[in-house]
Amino acid sequence: MGSTDAPADVDVQVEFGVNAKLPLRLRNPVMVASGTFGYGIEYARLIDIQRLGAIVSKGITARPRRGNRGPRIVETPAGMLNAIGLQNVGVHKVISDKAPIWAQWDVPVIVNIAGDTVEEFAYMADLLDGVPGVAGLELNISCPNVWAGGRVVGEDAATSAQITSAVRQRTGLPVLVKLSPQVADICEVARAVEDAGADAISLINTFVGMRIDIETARPVLANVTGGLSGPAIRPMAVWIVYLVSQAVRIPIVGLGGIACTGDALEFLMAGATAIQVGTMTFTEPSTSLRIVDELPGAIAARGLRSVCDLTGLALRQPA
Amino acid sequence: MRQFAATVVANELIMPATHVVALDVGRIAQSAAPGQFLHIRCSDNEAPLLRRPMSVFRARGKTLELMVRDVGAGSHRLVSKRPGEVLDCIGPLGHAFRIDPKARNLLLIGGGYGVAPLVGLAERAIERGASVTLAVGAATHDLVFPSTLLPEEVEYLVATDDGSAGVQGFVTELVPDRLAWADAVYSCGPIPMMASLARIVGERAPNIPCWVAMEERMGCAMGVCLGCVIETRKGPMRVCTDGPVFRARDVVWRTD
Repeated sequence: MGSTDAPADVDVQVEFGVNAKLPLRLRNPVMVASGTFGYGIEYARLIDIQRLGAIVSKGITARPRRGNRGPRIVETPAGMLNAIGLQNVGVHKVISDKAPIWAQWDVPVIVNIAGDTVEEFAYMADLLDGVPGVAGLELNISCPNVWAGGRVVGEDAATSAQITSAVRQRTGLPVLVKLSPQVADICEVARAVEDAGADAISLINTFVGMRIDIETARPVLANVTGGLSGPAIRPMAVWIVYLVSQAVRIPIVGLGGIACTGDALEFLMAGATAIQVGTMTFTEPSTSLRIVDELPGAIAARGLRSVCDLTGLALRQPA
Repeated sequence: MRQFAATVVANELIMPATHVVALDVGRIAQSAAPGQFLHIRCSDNEAPLLRRPMSVFRARGKTLELMVRDVGAGSHRLVSKRPGEVLDCIGPLGHAFRIDPKARNLLLIGGGYGVAPLVGLAERAIERGASVTLAVGAATHDLVFPSTLLPEEVEYLVATDDGSAGVQGFVTELVPDRLAWADAVYSCGPIPMMASLARIVGERAPNIPCWVAMEERMGCAMGVCLGCVIETRKGPMRVCTDGPVFRARDVVWRTD
């Protein structure tokens, strides 16, 4: 079933960092999102992870982090809130323990890095550059659950550009910058990171939300707020991709509640070059591979020859 | 551990809002052990979005039984499943209760819905020739787990908040008198009950292994999302993958 039936002449490869030292070519545009796939090993028990376009690792930090007090997650209508707090083993352990495993794989692994300061991003980029098994970096410049001095890191264009530039100077790896949807002017931030040397922009990270336990009249999450993900946010994510793809020339990676091939098509048509499946993996682990299998047929059914023909299609249609 | 389709073979109400749902799971019925759980899809759409973890209750041949309490969107759909309907399951997941072969006398302490994994544990222990005492605490008599669903060999003690069945008081008050007899203690139930049990056993019989089955909201149940993490003396641990069974003395019990 699946890929054996796919039209053989449909091209689903995508490329990042065409001008970078180490461009990244993916066999297909389907990635799995940071924070939803660990360091890549666990879901290998259920699905063939080597068939994915790429795996984006759990967000890592310069030092190990324990993460937030629980409760850390709660379900919402067609979604969930998470306040994990970036629990991770730290960049050094990732390099020593995880990267050697990734180096044996076919599927490229993009390492998501999250810093509280520009210096931390630069530090991690330095260390990860040249490590076998690391195929790219995704900069988590605005994870809603990590605060620095009372505000979300990377909220504004200037800081976002600073971080991107500091990383760009230290690595030839493709650099994807993942933006928060809750900034004053996302096009401004997107243009700033493009100018600073980003190879692609991941849109979007989670929205801030909360739930209140009506029995106790208290926030459900110990952190009070969490990041909202899942199908509930998809329309907002698609809109942001549609908007930003008109502001930048670099590829966009679309994510936000993708649950099926139709959802992936929305993001691609809105301007994305590739997509990430996140929360839906928890519900149906094969979601990403189903999209991999169905995409060639969906492209051919529209009389198109490659996934690139889909990118931005909604922006090119006559009014 | 795998993802598989399980056909519902029976669904029986055993207590208010509590059902035993029996699934045909093939070989998994015998390989899944008490303490482990299945992560079950409750609908074929996004309402609710996430799977629900359900503890292994009992196994009968190729049938695995789950004890499901109707408390929310997911469990409500599960208790409504009819024989013939198919459930998408992932599992068995997590670490099972460990039974030391040398342990002859097992003391099981259950609170409310927490009795579910302890029933299967009691059956396995009896099969191995051990003596089992199960003590359960419940708010009132009609929330007391039916003794008809327990092997006859199990000594069954009941404590209710209102004294309408068994003794009035907390089930943990029944523990101290039995610690001299017990070789191992197992528990599942509300956090305050297990915290209290951990303290009692830690003070009076620190050399007896005391195991608890923890419960937390789960996202992936595969060990990647880190949503179900609890604090232990060995650092943050995932209930889905490092647990659900932990040593009581390792858990950092929250007093708030």
